[in-house]
Amino acid sequence: MNGSWGAVLAALVLSLPVRTAGADAIKVGLVTEITGPNAESGAYSVNGAKLALEEINAAGGVMGRQIDLKITDSQSTNPGAVLALSKMASEGGYTAFIGPVRSTQIQAMAPTIMKAGLPMMIGGTDPGLTHAKNRWVFRARPSDAYSAKVIAEYGTKTLGRKKWAIVHATDAFGTGGKNALLDALKERGVTPVLVQGFTSNTQDFTPIILAVKQSGADVVGTYIPNSPDVGIFSKQLRQLGVNAEWIGSPSLVTETAMKLGQEALHGIYSVSDFTPDANPEAKAYAEKYRKKYGVAPDFYSSWTYDAMKLVAEAIKKANSTKPEDLRNAILATQGYKGVEGTYNFDKNGDGLHGYNVVKNDKGKVAFITRIDFPPSQESHGGTASGSQ
Amino acid sequence: MLAINLQILFSGLAVGAIYALVSLGFVLIIRATNVVNFAQGDFPMVAAFAMLTLLSSLKLPYLLSFVLSLAVMAVVGVAFNYGVYYPLRNRTYLPVLISTLGAGIFMQNAVLAIFGPQPHPLPKVFRAQGFQVGGVFLDSQYLLILAVTLVAVGFQYFLFEYTLLGKKLQATSQDKDMARLVGIPVAGMITFTFVYSAALGGLAGILVAPILFVSIGMGSTIALKAFSATIIGGFGDVTGAIVGGLLLGVVEAFAAAYVSVPYKDAFAFLLVFVFLLLRPQGIFGEKVSEKA
Repeated sequence: MNGSWGAVLAALVLSLPVRTAGADAIKVGLVTEITGPNAESGAYSVNGAKLALEEINAAGGVMGRQIDLKITDSQSTNPGAVLALSKMASEGGYTAFIGPVRSTQIQAMAPTIMKAGLPMMIGGTDPGLTHAKNRWVFRARPSDAYSAKVIAEYGTKTLGRKKWAIVHATDAFGTGGKNALLDALKERGVTPVLVQGFTSNTQDFTPIILAVKQSGADVVGTYIPNSPDVGIFSKQLRQLGVNAEWIGSPSLVTETAMKLGQEALHGIYSVSDFTPDANPEAKAYAEKYRKKYGVAPDFYSSWTYDAMKLVAEAIKKANSTKPEDLRNAILATQGYKGVEGTYNFDKNGDGLHGYNVVKNDKGKVAFITRIDFPPSQESHGGTASGSQ
Repeated sequence: MLAINLQILFSGLAVGAIYALVSLGFVLIIRATNVVNFAQGDFPMVAAFAMLTLLSSLKLPYLLSFVLSLAVMAVVGVAFNYGVYYPLRNRTYLPVLISTLGAGIFMQNAVLAIFGPQPHPLPKVFRAQGFQVGGVFLDSQYLLILAVTLVAVGFQYFLFEYTLLGKKLQATSQDKDMARLVGIPVAGMITFTFVYSAALGGLAGILVAPILFVSIGMGSTIALKAFSATIIGGFGDVTGAIVGGLLLGVVEAFAAAYVSVPYKDAFAFLLVFVFLLLRPQGIFGEKVSEKA
């Protein structure tokens, strides 16, 4: 989007309330990417939240009041995200927030979230976000700590593979994933035969693939964030005759990666937090979304849908809009069936503890199974008396 | 073991050939204008997007799309000359250099505004993925890249050494005032150089796109390596740039296989350091006359 005009347009759109609700409406704020390089995923997150909002309000709202959703632009940047939240916090009158999907933005916003003192649902998957002694952060997606566990569990148990090769990008995402996968494999008594890092935007993977081939690995576990890297790696892997199973991070089944890799990615496995066929809720959601917006939903929309519903559910259960009551109600949420899975909040504020395993079945993402782990028992940052 | 080393050599040569093609474009402009064109890496990108539009969106035949894409690059070359170089031609090299940097940023953002940030696949020229020869897999696109680079190098040699146009270009690069005195249209020669190097960069982009995909950043890593190849080859030496490009590709591939994959890029730049320290004039040394 060309900068200034986009910003003006967004400002115009955003100055209009999403839905004209009564004066006594409960205000929920959404910080998301309306402008900047991630504007496309931001649009999905708005769609998901709005769909949930319509359903909640059509069913009579909560506590006899309608919910009003206010959207503020993060400009796809860390400072923009902080500014957006500060703006809403100083405006006042909010009950809860739904935050960004980017871990780094949430890290930047953390002090502001604490100062605002209102519950915020987040979509970032960096495990540390809910372990940073910030009592107002709640996650409506599974963290990366679980993606590695699911990859290891499915690869060793279901596929029965013991000779692992790990290939990962050397950025924060790839290295974090590699370490988590090493830990998860260690728990299952497996030491990989090869661990190979590479710098993102590599033009040629021949040396890596030859190393995989020589190692005799019968399964490859990957954390490769960039779609072009996934595409090149997949093609060369198959060209050079590696027929090992392949199971990796959600980036393997994004639409772009599958478009680039084409048949070289057929038959591979990936973990994924949102799959339309994973459960009845997800299926119904995908149908509603497609009907309303004319495109297929992805996880950028599904988690805000869940987040909106979780907030409404918590207000209903607490029968209060006081931050402390709401916080307790969210932490007490158990067995809530969302589209991303069944939410069982632990004391850290993590709602989900597992991933779906999916397979690229001739270019279509097919749901294979869901693997969940027991919620963590460690405590969430601080108690009521220790509030800041 | 032999098969593995041959496989690494093959991919190293193919990647090196792309570096060589792009570095040829660098060299031509350095020779004609004494300026490094920092937008050289964006020519492959623009050409790849042109090819994508013609081939995948407009469904034109491959050969026609290819020729039209190179024609687009010729237009880009002319526009580049008159928009970026010509107004600053009487200034020192620095304003021109900054101007090429700006042009590169402009091209990237123009493509971003038109096509969006997603990378796209581009079909290969041949339907066959490649051939298995012994234990070595020869990717058809890699073979094509090597073949086209050879032809381009041969063509360039012929052009510069055996045609009047080539002699005029050489004269222009050696001494503009002298060239003007003997009646060579210097401005026209420089325009031609920009057209030719934009087309060369475009050729590299179209060749490499089926492997690296069509994306806005596709040219930046290649350009950095191609620039390194230019240094290794001796700033402004055509043969040196080609050998430098191939050498860089092969060294990278073997360093990745036997030393470290994440530091593969570091080895490429280490090679540049070694050359700058021990042999700053490049592999074959520069033509002394050009220094005059």
